[in-house]
Amino acid sequence: MNPITPIINGMAITLKHMFMKPVTLQYPDERPKVAERFRGLHGLKVSHSKAKCVACYLCPTVCPAKCITVEAGEDANHDKYATVYEIDMLRCIFCGYCVEACPVDALKMTGEFELANYSRQDFIYSKERLLEKQ
Amino acid sequence: MVNLTIDDKQVTAPKTATIYEAAKINGINIPILCHDKKLKPFGACRMCLVEVEQMKGRQIPACTTPATEGMIIRTSTPDIIKARKMVLELLLLNHPLDCPVCDKSGDCDLQNLTYEYKVNSNRFTDEKFNHEIDYNNPLIERDMNRCVLCGKCARICDEIVSFGALTFIDRGIDTKIGCEFDDPLNCEFCGSCISVCPVGALLARPFKHKARFWAMTKHTSVCGYCGTGCNVTLGVKDNKVLTTIYDEEQGFHKGQLCVRGRFGYQFINSAQRLSKPLVRKNGVLSESTWDEALEIVAGRLKGGSNVAALATPRLTNEELSLFKTMLLENVGTKNFDHAAGYAHAALTEGFARSFGATASSASILDIQKSDFLLVIKTDAYETHPVVGFEINMAVKNKGVKLSILSDKRGKLSKLPDAKTLVHRPGSEIALLNSIAKTILDEKMVDASAAAVAGYAELEKALSGFSAEAIAEQSGLNAADIKKLASEYASSEKALIIFPTGQAYTGHNAVLASALANLAIITGKYGKEGCGVLCLSEKNNSQGAVDMGFYPQDGGLNSVQILDACINGTVKTLFVAGENPLVSYPDRNKVKAALDAVEFLVVSELFLTETAAMADVVLPVCSYAEKEGTFTSTDRRVQFIKPAIRKSVQIKTDFEIFSDLITRLGGQPPLRPALQFEEIAANTPGYLGMNHVSLQKNGAFAPVITIPAFVAPQALTPVVSETGKLALVTGSALYHSGTLSQYGEGPMHVCPEGYIELSRSDASAYKIAENDLCTVSSATGSMQLKAKISLRMPAGVVFAPYHFSATPINSIWSGAPVTLVTLVK
Repeated sequence: MNPITPIINGMAITLKHMFMKPVTLQYPDERPKVAERFRGLHGLKVSHSKAKCVACYLCPTVCPAKCITVEAGEDANHDKYATVYEIDMLRCIFCGYCVEACPVDALKMTGEFELANYSRQDFIYSKERLLEKQ
Repeated sequence: MVNLTIDDKQVTAPKTATIYEAAKINGINIPILCHDKKLKPFGACRMCLVEVEQMKGRQIPACTTPATEGMIIRTSTPDIIKARKMVLELLLLNHPLDCPVCDKSGDCDLQNLTYEYKVNSNRFTDEKFNHEIDYNNPLIERDMNRCVLCGKCARICDEIVSFGALTFIDRGIDTKIGCEFDDPLNCEFCGSCISVCPVGALLARPFKHKARFWAMTKHTSVCGYCGTGCNVTLGVKDNKVLTTIYDEEQGFHKGQLCVRGRFGYQFINSAQRLSKPLVRKNGVLSESTWDEALEIVAGRLKGGSNVAALATPRLTNEELSLFKTMLLENVGTKNFDHAAGYAHAALTEGFARSFGATASSASILDIQKSDFLLVIKTDAYETHPVVGFEINMAVKNKGVKLSILSDKRGKLSKLPDAKTLVHRPGSEIALLNSIAKTILDEKMVDASAAAVAGYAELEKALSGFSAEAIAEQSGLNAADIKKLASEYASSEKALIIFPTGQAYTGHNAVLASALANLAIITGKYGKEGCGVLCLSEKNNSQGAVDMGFYPQDGGLNSVQILDACINGTVKTLFVAGENPLVSYPDRNKVKAALDAVEFLVVSELFLTETAAMADVVLPVCSYAEKEGTFTSTDRRVQFIKPAIRKSVQIKTDFEIFSDLITRLGGQPPLRPALQFEEIAANTPGYLGMNHVSLQKNGAFAPVITIPAFVAPQALTPVVSETGKLALVTGSALYHSGTLSQYGEGPMHVCPEGYIELSRSDASAYKIAENDLCTVSSATGSMQLKAKISLRMPAGVVFAPYHFSATPINSIWSGAPVTLVTLVK
């Protein structure tokens, strides 16, 4: 066979595909439609302008990756709240057990999936970053 | 024993057992909320319902029904399970379902049973309670909305603590647990109620929201405060001791603790702990390395008899014995002592000559087995609260008679039928001699006494102590003394209890011998429920005596060491854990000694007043970070292991002494266990013990007594002066030594020193509660807050000695009774 033939055949396929409709999602120009039950970045729900979380420690207890850190405190009304609520996204396996375990429905998983960051410290999501925006 | 059948299993149980106890002994678990091993059966919760065939299958409570011969019992038929489910439904009807925020969650009996019986819905509806939550005190939070009315708190407060702060109040559906007139809680804060609460109605505030129960690891240890030797379980998370956990199976005291044992653990993780060795450079203590610090210390220890040492009896046996070996063999000095040099005299001198042993001839377990208790000073409750609980139980449950000889009334005086003879301060020894004299005169002497060495001399020496003569100088009447003598002598079993400590200078060798004379003359020693029990102050005071960490063969004692520091014969002073500046008498002298000594080394947890004067300060470990053994006041040797990892920069005293021995050219043992092997081989009573065998329950070191009478000397009574009050020093209930100042719990309830005086003196001096008074003695003057109480007799004032901010030793120079003036 002429050594040029395979190159021409290859180029023909390439050229054909240049004019075909793309099969894959054109991220980031196109955004995926995230399913409602998609398990992305966590969010702490807010009610009466404060976090619903009562710092019961069930999420760190159930977490198989041990990525959740909670510290409880007592507020002025003697109620329990989370002084610290941190999730280490580098360790999180997005299993959603924490949401399932939550007895007060204070935690959800959002559709947010773009979690890339430049430093390791930025992967540790503090309570402020996790609180849902109103 | 009775034979019965439980769930088709043939079992036997003691005659006194209830069905519940019989089942438990035989490994059959009956669910219950209102039962505790230490408390009397109550039958409040109805969870323990069982069926007894002989009772026609009726459902009866297992916890209040005695097990009888031939009973056929079923503990879990479908009917019983149905009934239990209903009980739980009814309890959950009013119980707030706030498990996520309740600190009891995970350790909650109600939660566990709800889970076990799968009660996940409720057929009934009702409103939840809306009781106000008591946040008024810093230690115990009371949320009566969660209460299931099992009554355990009220019962333990009454039956064991004997305070009676809590009870059922109101009626019917409004019934709740409360204080008198529904006031805020104001008790002695031992926290026993918290420990037995099956739900989260009573919670420890220092632990509030700190951690969940399941997240903590539980480490058993031995309390590091007083000499009772209570076992504690420490709840540890992230290498921090967060709380103490109740275990009703633990120790002779069945998990019962006092305020400092339960709430005084915070010193372990205190932010004030020293973290690096400090060396004085250009007059300032600055951080250094271990190598530098120990090299300096080792260099100074080469001074032979110029070196002296003071140790705290809070060190382990291994550390004390290694310290002693180092001083004797590697340093070459005999000058070492502990506990201010006199707090151990009752054992090392008194009992040594009266019983031929430096330990008590009775144990704490004898208290409940006795018929008659003679307590010297009501302070026995304050110094050793858990021993106090034993006395409470003996008197209230076993009908043991209690007589107290004291210079003030106290909590023990309030026990049923307790007789308190309140004498003039300082006259207790004369009184005891007069009791012995009365026993001789009334021919109540035991047959064995005449054969004991020194009987004739005793008889002669007691001639001056007739009840009439002593009654006059002690402020009692002769009939009372005689009555006490005859009650003591005529009881089949009688036990004498007296506290010792750095604040109890009057409780010395002479007092111990006077008490021993009483026991020997009536033959009340060496038998169950008899003897003389010396309550030594710190957690290892008895161990320090057993290890021989006190001057022998011509060594200097604490007082002489301080004198020698002043006159320059002692040039290097090694203080291991003591804080003489606060806890030794005569602050001026101690300060002069510490100033004068050329080189002062202090190994401490904190930068105490004494450590602040040192040339080298070595940071050491608390009892929760080290391994070793403690010997309790009744010679129970108990093993402790680390509950938390020590920080890299601190060492145990054992490591420090080992390192110093190496630097001095010796060969130290590698591990505390090896040191203990040497202790076991050389200490009377410790033979055969080792760390492995002691791990579970510890072991008693037996005491062999060889009785001898010690003839009393004539005593000069304390002369009172008009316009002056008699100051007696002692321990406050909430504190032990100076260490408890670093525990948050004790400092919440008793944050500062005070002077306690009677109502009549208060009105005579026009002093109101909490007034700042100037107290002056011959040696100095200081300001203390006034506390007016009913227990003090007129003319007597009391001050505790624990506080660095108000050091009582600036007016107290070590006399049992100090005459002071009081000005508002």
